Amino acid sequence: MNTLVRRFRPEQIRELFLVFLILVIVVFFSVQIEGYFNARFANRLSTSVVVVAILAVGQTLVFLTRNFDLSVGSIVGVTAYLVGQTLWHHPEIPPLGAVALAIGIGMLMGSINGLLVAYGRVPSIITTIATLAIYRSFLVEYSHAVPITTNNLPDWIVELPAGKLFAVGQVEFRVLFALLLLVVVVFQLVLNRLPFGRRLYAIGSNPDAARVAGFPAQRIVFTAFLLSGGLAGLAGFVFLSRFGNISVLAGVGLEFASIAAVVVGGVSNNGGSGTVFGAFLGALLIDLLENSLFRWQAISEFWRDAILGMLILLAVAIDHVVIGRLRIAWARAGLQMTTKEPDEQTEEVTHVG
Amino acid sequence: MSTAILEMKHISKRFDMTQALDDVSLDLYPGEIHALVGENGAGKSTLIKITTGVYRPDQGEILFDSKPVQINNSQEAQALGIAAIYQEPMIYPDLNVAENIFISHQDRGPIVRWGKMYKDAEAILAKLDVKLDVRMAARGLTLAAQQAVEIAKAISLNVRVLIMDEPTASLSAHEVAQLFTLVRSLRSQGVAILFIGHRLEEVLSVTDRVTVLRDGKRISSRLREEVTIEKVIRDMVGREVSDFFSKGPANRGELLMSVRNLGKKDVFQGITFDAYRGEVLGFAGLIGSHRTDVGLALFGVEPADSGEILIEGKPCKIRSPQEALRLGIAYSTEDRRKLGLNMPMSITSNISLAMLSRYLNRLGLIQRRAEVATAEEFRRRLTIRSSSITTAVEQLSGGNQQKVMLSKWLNADPKLLILDEPTRGIDVGAKAEVHHMINDLAAQGMAVILISSDLPEVLAMSDRLVVMREGRQMGVFDHADATEEKVMTAAMGQVTIQQEVAR
Amino acid sequence: MSARESVLVPVWQRLKSWEGMLIVILAIVFLINSLIAPNYLTVGNQINLFILSIERIIVAVVMAFLIINGEIDLSAPSIMGLSACVTAFLFSQGVDFGTALLISMSIGLACGLFNGFWVAIVGLNSLVVTLSMLICYRGLARVFLEDRSIGKLPEWFNSLGQQKLLGPFPLALIIFFALLAFAVVVLHYSGFGRRVYVIGNNKDAARYSGVKVARVKMTLFIASGMVSALAGLLLAARLGAVRGDLASGFELDIVTMVLLGGVSIFGGSGSLYGVFLSIMIILNIRNGMSLANLSGHFQTGVIGLLLICSVLGPNLAGQVRASLNRRRRIRPLQGSQPNGPGLSQDTDQVLHASSSSE
Repeated sequence: MNTLVRRFRPEQIRELFLVFLILVIVVFFSVQIEGYFNARFANRLSTSVVVVAILAVGQTLVFLTRNFDLSVGSIVGVTAYLVGQTLWHHPEIPPLGAVALAIGIGMLMGSINGLLVAYGRVPSIITTIATLAIYRSFLVEYSHAVPITTNNLPDWIVELPAGKLFAVGQVEFRVLFALLLLVVVVFQLVLNRLPFGRRLYAIGSNPDAARVAGFPAQRIVFTAFLLSGGLAGLAGFVFLSRFGNISVLAGVGLEFASIAAVVVGGVSNNGGSGTVFGAFLGALLIDLLENSLFRWQAISEFWRDAILGMLILLAVAIDHVVIGRLRIAWARAGLQMTTKEPDEQTEEVTHVG
Repeated sequence: MSTAILEMKHISKRFDMTQALDDVSLDLYPGEIHALVGENGAGKSTLIKITTGVYRPDQGEILFDSKPVQINNSQEAQALGIAAIYQEPMIYPDLNVAENIFISHQDRGPIVRWGKMYKDAEAILAKLDVKLDVRMAARGLTLAAQQAVEIAKAISLNVRVLIMDEPTASLSAHEVAQLFTLVRSLRSQGVAILFIGHRLEEVLSVTDRVTVLRDGKRISSRLREEVTIEKVIRDMVGREVSDFFSKGPANRGELLMSVRNLGKKDVFQGITFDAYRGEVLGFAGLIGSHRTDVGLALFGVEPADSGEILIEGKPCKIRSPQEALRLGIAYSTEDRRKLGLNMPMSITSNISLAMLSRYLNRLGLIQRRAEVATAEEFRRRLTIRSSSITTAVEQLSGGNQQKVMLSKWLNADPKLLILDEPTRGIDVGAKAEVHHMINDLAAQGMAVILISSDLPEVLAMSDRLVVMREGRQMGVFDHADATEEKVMTAAMGQVTIQQEVAR
Repeated sequence: MSARESVLVPVWQRLKSWEGMLIVILAIVFLINSLIAPNYLTVGNQINLFILSIERIIVAVVMAFLIINGEIDLSAPSIMGLSACVTAFLFSQGVDFGTALLISMSIGLACGLFNGFWVAIVGLNSLVVTLSMLICYRGLARVFLEDRSIGKLPEWFNSLGQQKLLGPFPLALIIFFALLAFAVVVLHYSGFGRRVYVIGNNKDAARYSGVKVARVKMTLFIASGMVSALAGLLLAARLGAVRGDLASGFELDIVTMVLLGGVSIFGGSGSLYGVFLSIMIILNIRNGMSLANLSGHFQTGVIGLLLICSVLGPNLAGQVRASLNRRRRIRPLQGSQPNGPGLSQDTDQVLHASSSSE
């Protein structure tokens, strides 16, 4: 039992549980709907999950530091529009250039968030509610209500969602999905293997200790927002590619979806715990649920938001009640301390939490 | 004698109106345990913070390895090899033990190598003779284990001067012994250790030298052999403290509360005792014996799930603090900062809080004048030292904060007052005042339950003594029968004494 | 001595200067607006301003209580929308309007109870709970109305808030001032209000002192739910039609009104006087921008900026003051605050642990 306890941290259990839930959903809907799970559905899913999943990765970084980023929806809108507009007037720009532009714009907006939260010490909830509005109003003013349409965009970007790297039978491994996987893997490694990533966990876990230890907490939080913005920019690029028609309302509401994904994925807002992979699974779970509900005649599409909201609540409630108890049980199971005292009777004292 | 590793020469530091340190000099030698004692406000913390780079001295200089240094922040202190461990260990609950040890290292390379980290962590812990699973999240560790991790962290940083600020305040005697073993092992490795403590017996049992501060000045600095507790106390307070612990004879009145077989799953069980008016009933035991949990159960914060409580003969279920208060039970918490007081609020508001409904008129509006009158009365009665009762309690010293908290509960006119560590973290003078107050309350007919980990205190103050160990009751002693040895034995569980049921 | 003073004494100095600052800002706004449009400062104009945003400011008053209590209710605008939508929907289905009204108030109650249950009883973070319910209640509103909008509401309802009852003051405005007066008495002078502050400052200490924390929080969430439901109806009445996204986006204005008023997002401090001043500021700023022909979106952006400044300002001021103090410390000071050795403004590194050995 001890080795089992040691091997699996609560976060890994959470990830396994999510995979299990995903399977349950697939099975459930396969029973309810004719021809539900086929290659076409899987392909469509692999593209539809990308935007929110990328946002979820960025949101994870922010959550780990005990912050929120509510402005990502607006960042997506702004970058989608600006990149779209740039490609409209300069269609010769290569794809990587467009991606770089998107990320750069996103980073700029993320850095404003970062400055305010990390250096201005404005709580992130406030900062990002405000920048949500400010960035959106910027988009409205700047665009003068002229939308981007697919006609104005070069072919390569419009066709990108359908593009695939390879196919196994009918199941396609799409370019955008590969991009998503790349992002997930890179950031999972960053969080697990780079000192920067570990410090992210440290600051969220015990900000006081981090401060005393001399961690550049401000710089780290700033970087988290910078990266979140950059990832939102990347998501904006994908958004542009998927939808083509960008109005001033582009991206509205995406911040909630990303928070839902992250919370369902087990990232705690108290900082210090959660993984990028978990967030990815959370995004996948939600997207799967939404797409499945959409096809299920029993529930109209207008239930989508209501269900989304309840899902977040459920995830948080379960976290609070169940995982909390699990954590204590974990601690109890694995703890032993023996200091050898030559003059004292050594007694294995198992401390109860 | 080897050369001093750290020399603080003529350090002075002023904060607005207060001269926190006045020409204080202190040397530390490698391989020595040096205790720094003094009342609250004596300047110990300030001196520590100057050493760790939190403050800079107004005057004076610091020599490290005989070279003058300027310590401007905690990283520079760390770079010199100065580390500090505080009462509340600074660990990261979500990270595992190994990572807690190494996280503040700057030079472990651009990639985190987990395997190596685990091995290195185990090596350091082995050097300390401590066995911990390095892969476990630090959250589940006991306070003592967390401190061991902090010491391991200090060693990993090649600490040369280790400062320990009240490290034993929340530890049981057993854990203190373990800690001192670690500390002695550090000493034998040539580390200089500066140790602040309030429990003088404990301090004197481990230290090589004792320096006493009072009112920002250095009063004395002597070798352990030349020192007695009385001399130290005299230096600390500047006067003979004769009636240090005085316990008047018990004037026991009628039976107020009977507790039979009180239990809470996984926390405590079989708690059986009687509490009489006019009597101080002490609760002794190691930390982790869950005495506080019994107190919380009696006060309804964390109700028990089995057993009986009879108050004046009637069985009662205490499920909330409001119910407890209505039954005449009050509980003064051991954690006054986090649980006992609303820090930014005034003395007045804090005192009236538990009985707020008393100050409301029929419309529910607060009667200011009555509130203020109450606060003034308690200020006088408990000699709370503050310029005004509108001062925020966070600006008061620890002893005065404790008094405000006690006022809040006395204001509730309790029949039974449960005091949980009422003298923790307050200076000797205030401690004596609290003891006097407890005596007075008992003399006036209140039943008092005194939970304390300070064995001399609880032995001296209690008319009868309940000893607990790990949630179980090990025995009830009369004042006359209770000796340190007997109580410690019961508390550590090597002999089970028959429980004395109420007379 | 008012209840506020002895409770908030250490914050009192700050508050006094905060409200003073708000008065100055308000004066500046009036000045600018008068330059844009002469005859700006009339009672009639101010009344119109209030009426145009009456629903928001009603909710802001209750929100202040919640934030001081250390919580927040981001779902309030969604409750507004939900109650309005359900009422309109029921009416369009033939339910008589009185019953529909009753039902919508019950919805407010139910939503408040639901929110309160998760926060006060289960103990979840109110930010996350109300954020998720913001989405959920909005979604429920859409379930009823789908993409449609319902416009044919009874005549008497449409002019509900608009009737001039007392001189030039419409009913809705009277409701607001009545609510405000009641709120001031409760928050600043009553035992309940004291408990709100105490819980916001330290929930555990309050509980250990016998305060019924769960009950207070539940009451506040229920109040927020019901007031939001009422506000939603007033909004529907004023607009004359109901859509699924009614009141969407109000969170920003409402939270800004409260925080700009000096209420700390961390709980435990703030006053309704400041909130009232900040309401006036925000309403007049929006109005001024409209007069200057700036779009609604632009105005929202400006409000966002205001929100940031309302928190950033004091933070920067604090840092400036700290560095000034650092420089001043070289010369001994006469008669300033009796700071104990633990309260240095030097660094943030005041360690809780070590101050217990002072």
